[in-house]
Amino acid sequence: MARYIARRLLWLLVVVFFVSLITFGFARAVPGGPFSAEKKLPAAVLAQLEKKYNLDAPLWQQYLSYMGDILIPRITGEAVEGSLLSDYLINIPLGSDLTFQWMNFGPSYKDRSRTVNDIFRENLPVSFELGFYAFILAVVVGLPLGVVAALKQNTLWDYLAMSVAIFGVSVPSIALGPIFIWLFAVELAWFLPSGWGSWRQDVLPAVVLGVGSSAVIARLTRASLLQVVREDYIRTARAKGLREGVIVVRHALRNSLIPVVTVMGPIFAFLVTGTLVTETIFGVPGMGKYFVGSITNRDYPVIMGTILFFAIIIVLANLIVDLMYAWLDPRIRYT
Amino acid sequence: MFSKKAVLLLVVVALLSMIAAGCGTAQPQTITVVETVVVEKEVQGETVTVVETVEVVKEVEKVVTQEVEVVKEVAVDPDALPPEETLFYGDDSASGSGDIPTLDPSLLVDSKSIQWARELFVGPTRLNEENNEVEPGMATEWEVSDDGLVYTFKLRDDVPWVKYNNATGEVEQVLDDEGNPRIVNANDFVYGIRRTLDPATASDYSYVNWLIVNAQEVNGGAEDGEENPLYGKLEEIGIRAVDDFTLEYTLKEPAAFFPAIAEMWINYAQPQWLIEEKGDRWIESGVIQTYGPYALREWVHDVSVTLIANPFWPGSDSIPKPSIKYVHAEFLEESPQFANYEAGLVDVVSAPVTELDRIKADPTLSEELNIAPSQCTYYYGFNVTKPPFDDVNVRKAFSYAVDRTLLVENVTKGGQEPARWFSRPGLLAGPDPAAGDDFGPPVTADPEKAKEFLAASTQYPTAGDLPEINLAMNQTEAHVKIGEAIQQMWKENLGVEVNLVIQEWKVYLETLDEDPPQIWRLGWCSDYPDASNFLKDVFRSDSGNNHTKWGNEEFDRIVDEAARETDLAKRKELYLQAEKILIEDEAVIIPLYWYTEVNLTKPYVTRTYGTGGQESFEKWSLSK
Repeated sequence: MARYIARRLLWLLVVVFFVSLITFGFARAVPGGPFSAEKKLPAAVLAQLEKKYNLDAPLWQQYLSYMGDILIPRITGEAVEGSLLSDYLINIPLGSDLTFQWMNFGPSYKDRSRTVNDIFRENLPVSFELGFYAFILAVVVGLPLGVVAALKQNTLWDYLAMSVAIFGVSVPSIALGPIFIWLFAVELAWFLPSGWGSWRQDVLPAVVLGVGSSAVIARLTRASLLQVVREDYIRTARAKGLREGVIVVRHALRNSLIPVVTVMGPIFAFLVTGTLVTETIFGVPGMGKYFVGSITNRDYPVIMGTILFFAIIIVLANLIVDLMYAWLDPRIRYT
Repeated sequence: MFSKKAVLLLVVVALLSMIAAGCGTAQPQTITVVETVVVEKEVQGETVTVVETVEVVKEVEKVVTQEVEVVKEVAVDPDALPPEETLFYGDDSASGSGDIPTLDPSLLVDSKSIQWARELFVGPTRLNEENNEVEPGMATEWEVSDDGLVYTFKLRDDVPWVKYNNATGEVEQVLDDEGNPRIVNANDFVYGIRRTLDPATASDYSYVNWLIVNAQEVNGGAEDGEENPLYGKLEEIGIRAVDDFTLEYTLKEPAAFFPAIAEMWINYAQPQWLIEEKGDRWIESGVIQTYGPYALREWVHDVSVTLIANPFWPGSDSIPKPSIKYVHAEFLEESPQFANYEAGLVDVVSAPVTELDRIKADPTLSEELNIAPSQCTYYYGFNVTKPPFDDVNVRKAFSYAVDRTLLVENVTKGGQEPARWFSRPGLLAGPDPAAGDDFGPPVTADPEKAKEFLAASTQYPTAGDLPEINLAMNQTEAHVKIGEAIQQMWKENLGVEVNLVIQEWKVYLETLDEDPPQIWRLGWCSDYPDASNFLKDVFRSDSGNNHTKWGNEEFDRIVDEAARETDLAKRKELYLQAEKILIEDEAVIIPLYWYTEVNLTKPYVTRTYGTGGQESFEKWSLSK
């Protein structure tokens, strides 16, 4: 198993390499640059900007220097510089004025006083927290809903549960968000309409975000459980006289979770890396807007940083999902 | 590794030893000794030596080190802002929503950064935000030499550098190594100006200061760029501190509007000692040092910004001491800001276009609504090298067929003013309908005249003779709506079918640069409130902002002369001529409308309205 995990982690590096190459290529291929604006900059000023951010070097050099800044650590004897071009994520003082520095994702071209590391340090935890709450909500609501629907198939419970699921999947957060704000934050004033930090601000965005995913999980659970519940070994369990609850949770559910868990990996990755719409509606200072905004602004380091981060999260989430298979189904073994 | 028994024994021994240590055999005797202890306490990353009287409790058997408590208490709860003293600001109409990109004067580009930096720093002059007149800023007076080349500013000597102390909740003066307060002086200005012109800083707006002697060469703007012998030689720039409080600029050629440029952020004083120590991070909350009417209390990226009134700002007629203590703004989108305004959490907000009808109909909100001019012009430009627009009659025809009044009333609906020429009224030396200037296409469509113009063209006398025409714009709902409306107007009034070409923003900018389409849309907002910024900086034949491919020697000559001329009446006359060439004779563009700002302000806020997209919070007051 350990060898398996090690192999997967090595593949992670390969995936990240290819993602970075493709993203870099596409970002540069798209017309327009970070400094094109309605007011044309004089050629000299543009030249200075490009020089400062190393945009006048040949593309392959830019790529290598960018990846080098991220992957290759360095030990500097200088005092911590204030330059935004050398802002490292990991800084470990080694004593006698030396510092071990690693992972410089570059500055932002649009927000001249921020770096991609700032985005990781400040906005990422917020998005992660929001996504995490939404994910928990999705699982806590979706699984039971799906189970109830499957067990009470074709009864009122089933129809009710599936209606809720369809609603959750069909109504996008851009519609649900303002409705919730108006209803719960303005009319009923149970929550605050925007911001992030206190529970009164966190609940609404987490709910709006989680509703869609909970619907997906509910439907999948239902479909999968319906199949499993018809299996012979469940009949055996019933014949043995086990309580229905035990049968469902210990035997049926565990076997039916494989499709659900498969989907939970990417869902978790999407939720956790920041969603533009929900974060914008609720004024949550997360990473979502940097994903989209960076592309509009041609802010190359932010584009690369956010996409690389997303790629890593997806690969790790899928790895965890694969490992969960082994736990769920003892027939699955990894070498 | 260990057997179960061994582990159990270890645990028991550990527990017993802990209990034994806690109990101790003798009861320790405590003696209270009052000692004067010099304590070094870390405040906000800087070490401050505080001499304090502390009670140190000493035990006879053991010396217990206790944490030393600072006697001073925090004066203000850092989180709660008293509502009666706080202006909750949510008006993003001039600047767009989102975080402030930067507060570094050298790197300011957008209106939002400029607005907030303007409260923290002051240039030698300050533009009155309501009427755009040049008023004293940090300079009490200035004089210009007879040849118009040397400007000498006499600076105030009573403005210290300040910063906000988080621990005490107060603004305090910055002290130098000897413990004296640092006063803003001419050297700080020289440093700031040089830093902005330093090629390594890569400042976007440095070119506005190129009228200073040698600035263009030092900044890399000369023909030979980096090869120029003056490149990077900051000391060669024509700016010097004659003495501590006298600042002298030497210009390349006379410029009547230079005092307006002296107010811009590229001419702010900057704290050299801080920038050298902290590098690019000097503007962060808790680090930044400023000197303007407000100081930065807190800046949480992507969340909010809070200013606190600077008690050390001496106040002047043009920049008074602020009466509102705190200014707080949250970085939210327009809709949540407006929702907050309606909930009473925000005092000033921009009116979302979608809500305008409802606001105008609402009895309370309509009272709080204000539509003010904003210094921008929205226009459609022609590429005069592409047929059919190489023929001036066709251009005039298309311009006269547009109904500008209909456009602003039914499509944009923001109280905009139909534009008959390019420079926005209100600019210094620009034409103004209020002053009686009357030229250019009419504000309503004139289909007969338009058809007449078309008929007068040699190659395309009727609509059927026209080749395929593309109208290009970038992908924003507002622009597309306007484009569709005008497409319809041309169809009705001229019988011409025009194609809409919609591109993504940056792609569109590239298109405008490389191969401008036959008709394209653009807006222009003022950098400084002078007609030169509109006419010369945009439509001079060598301007990078001129996408019309049109150049006219007479026009160039007039705008150059007007920039050098010092007599206001003469300048107005010249700019009138220039506009007539641009609009009436050559019809190079179709001016559409002049921008407005639509915002709402709560009745308890007494405020001024800035016309250039900048507000002066120090002039506002609250009566909550």
